[in-house]
Amino acid sequence: MAPALCANCKTSRALIIRPKNHQKLCKECFIAVFEAEIHHTIITTSLFSPGDKIAIGASGGKDSTVLASVLKTLNERHNYGLELVLLSIDEGIKGYRDDSLETVKRNAVQYDMPLKIVGYDELYGWTMDQVVEVIGKKGNCTYCGVFRRQALDRGAKMLGIKHVVTGHNADDVAETILMNLLRGDLPRLARSTSIVTGDATSDVRRSKPLKYAYEKEIVLYAHHKKLDYFTTECLYSPEAFRGSARSLIKNLERVRPSAILDVVRSGEDMAKLVPEEVTGISQCKSQKVSLSSADGEDEGAGGCGSANGRSSGGEMAAMEKKLQQDETASSREIDMSNPIASGQNHDRLIKKTGPIKPVRIESSKKLVGQTLGTCKTCGYMSSQEICKACTLLEGLNKNRPKMEIEIDVEEEESSTLRRRMEGVALAAG
Amino acid sequence: MPGEILAQNSSDAPLCQRCGTEAATHNVRSEDVCSNCFSQYVQTKTIKRMETYRIRGSSAKTPRKLLFPLSFGPSSASLLHILDQHLRGQYDRMKRTSYELYVVHINVYVDPVDRKDADEMLEKYKTRYPRHNYAIFNLEEALGLDGIDWKALGLENSDSMAPSAERLQKLLGSMSSATSRSDIVSTLLARLLVDVAKRNSCEGTLFGDSTTRLAEKTLTETAKGRGFSLPWQISDGTSPHGITFYYPLRDILKKEIMSFSTLTSPPLTDLIVQPHPTSQISASSKLTTIDDLMAQYFESVEENFPSIVANVVRTTSKLQSLPNETTEACGLCGLPVAVGTDGIHGWGGDQNSESRPGKDDTYHGILCYGCSRSMNS
Repeated sequence: MAPALCANCKTSRALIIRPKNHQKLCKECFIAVFEAEIHHTIITTSLFSPGDKIAIGASGGKDSTVLASVLKTLNERHNYGLELVLLSIDEGIKGYRDDSLETVKRNAVQYDMPLKIVGYDELYGWTMDQVVEVIGKKGNCTYCGVFRRQALDRGAKMLGIKHVVTGHNADDVAETILMNLLRGDLPRLARSTSIVTGDATSDVRRSKPLKYAYEKEIVLYAHHKKLDYFTTECLYSPEAFRGSARSLIKNLERVRPSAILDVVRSGEDMAKLVPEEVTGISQCKSQKVSLSSADGEDEGAGGCGSANGRSSGGEMAAMEKKLQQDETASSREIDMSNPIASGQNHDRLIKKTGPIKPVRIESSKKLVGQTLGTCKTCGYMSSQEICKACTLLEGLNKNRPKMEIEIDVEEEESSTLRRRMEGVALAAG
Repeated sequence: MPGEILAQNSSDAPLCQRCGTEAATHNVRSEDVCSNCFSQYVQTKTIKRMETYRIRGSSAKTPRKLLFPLSFGPSSASLLHILDQHLRGQYDRMKRTSYELYVVHINVYVDPVDRKDADEMLEKYKTRYPRHNYAIFNLEEALGLDGIDWKALGLENSDSMAPSAERLQKLLGSMSSATSRSDIVSTLLARLLVDVAKRNSCEGTLFGDSTTRLAEKTLTETAKGRGFSLPWQISDGTSPHGITFYYPLRDILKKEIMSFSTLTSPPLTDLIVQPHPTSQISASSKLTTIDDLMAQYFESVEENFPSIVANVVRTTSKLQSLPNETTEACGLCGLPVAVGTDGIHGWGGDQNSESRPGKDDTYHGILCYGCSRSMNS
């Protein structure tokens, strides 16, 4: 039997089965198709304007290395007119960053791009190793994610750059969508699917040009382009919800390769169905631009290596406990009040828990959505009075885990819940 | 956590936390209860969802007719048992009932042996619950439905001479994956049920989906690209098909249903075709579907984190359909699709139309993203 020919050029021998759709391609066509798809994403979402200075969040891992390589190629091929800079964060995890930062330094030479490295210690006074000493190995991903997110933005600001691109791929986005469904976080569900976060009013916008690119194709691209990247996993365990969602995504992909893309599509559609009072995003605004998630942990995957679900489930257990308490409270309430007619949903129940949980009723009444301001402590953009990083730091500096946040009436319900839940996890761990 | 509760009770054989007399044998979320109180809990939770159908006033009204799809699984069997008792209670007290059930089983298998089994099974139900009307339909009857855009499915009259069972088999055989096949089957099943309900002037349909099943459905539909349809898929209320959908078991976990089905007297065991254990599901099998994966996943989540399962359903029911959006019905599932968002092409994630593999798209009619995916991959 003759060898299969590339489905695209129909001349070369097919060597690659595309993970995304099982199309058989030759190496050259795969690379061309992969790049063309990223170009398509950039063009159709008007991601960049000529003259833009763009910081590439570079971890030395496959995603950000491929992003840097593809952006350099496309910038030259299609005359985007972009000035590209590599921006790296040093979390201060011994043995984790040493090698990957070396990789980024080589990338800077290979791609002829300037490189800026920002350390957690200089930004926050804490390295991740020091944080772990205080917090333990559970629940520290929150710290790492929050700190990194701000670190990228702060680093960008230092360099006078208004747009940071990250290597989040389709798998990451799909995983985040499932994770937010699992933990019942509609505001984040609504935000996490946008290709761009932050709008004209924010100092720094963030975007993910690889949003529709499959992780497996990113690996293939890096391999066939012989890119210099560093493979490692974060030494600290991933959050249970993310780990759980991740293994689910991997299984879904095996059963139906399009499933990753299909989840992303579902997420985009569902973002429009999240009630405005929950998100603060007006439906008439394009879904592509959403409120900045400066202090969120919307996509903790970036840089957390492959968190492949080897966690203890402490986060899920804590949330379970919290939900059970709420359930008990609301069932007591139902007993005292009129029977709830069928067809009404549980919002009503939650509001009725008022007498038992006064904090809750406060927060659901003030569910006016988040508005972007600046943190009182550090002046950095935040939707709360004190940004999440500063809140976490305050806890760290007092040498105890974060707490008390649940009294914050500005907070939207589910994230209050999540924080309480984190508090429980930390106390238990 | 069940263990913690037990630890709080200092005695070795804990008593039921509700009645305080019987030994606790079951667990209701955070309470250890006896089997009686457990059954009571399941029944009360279910009947509460039937609030719309309690008897009001004294004047005799014609009972309202509701379609009851019966799959012979533990959930629909248990729901039928509970509702049968509910109706019996109404009749004993008031000499009338507020609603009546039209119990329908749909044969999804075309094999005559399977169909004979179904007939025998339904006879057992008729004997045990004689109050209701029963009927069996075959899935291929869906092929005669007007509301489906057969042309979009490539089934346009081509074999209309062939027996419908054969045509159904051919249609399902042409699907490229187990997931697509099961997706089309459940879609046709849903369309057929709505049609049966309308033809028999039922004002609503009672589905036996448990909390766990609804959570599964949420993630299954999400994974199939039907996130847009969730506001209509898991909430009680008027469906886009014009029939009200109810899920009276929405507050009961699957494992609770399983226990309940063994506690009735006599147990429902004879009336139930047990589902395959999800532990046998492997993601590397060609026969495994997204539905299977989700069932397996939520079975494990439910084990330790039942409230998280419930929270998924609660959260999803907060999603709201967009009021001012112009929609058209999907030619297959019939759900409303926002104009311009049909099909799997032409959105951000469809980036490379030139190198697109697969069928040439001449006429596709309006299919939602999820149905389009099932027809095209």
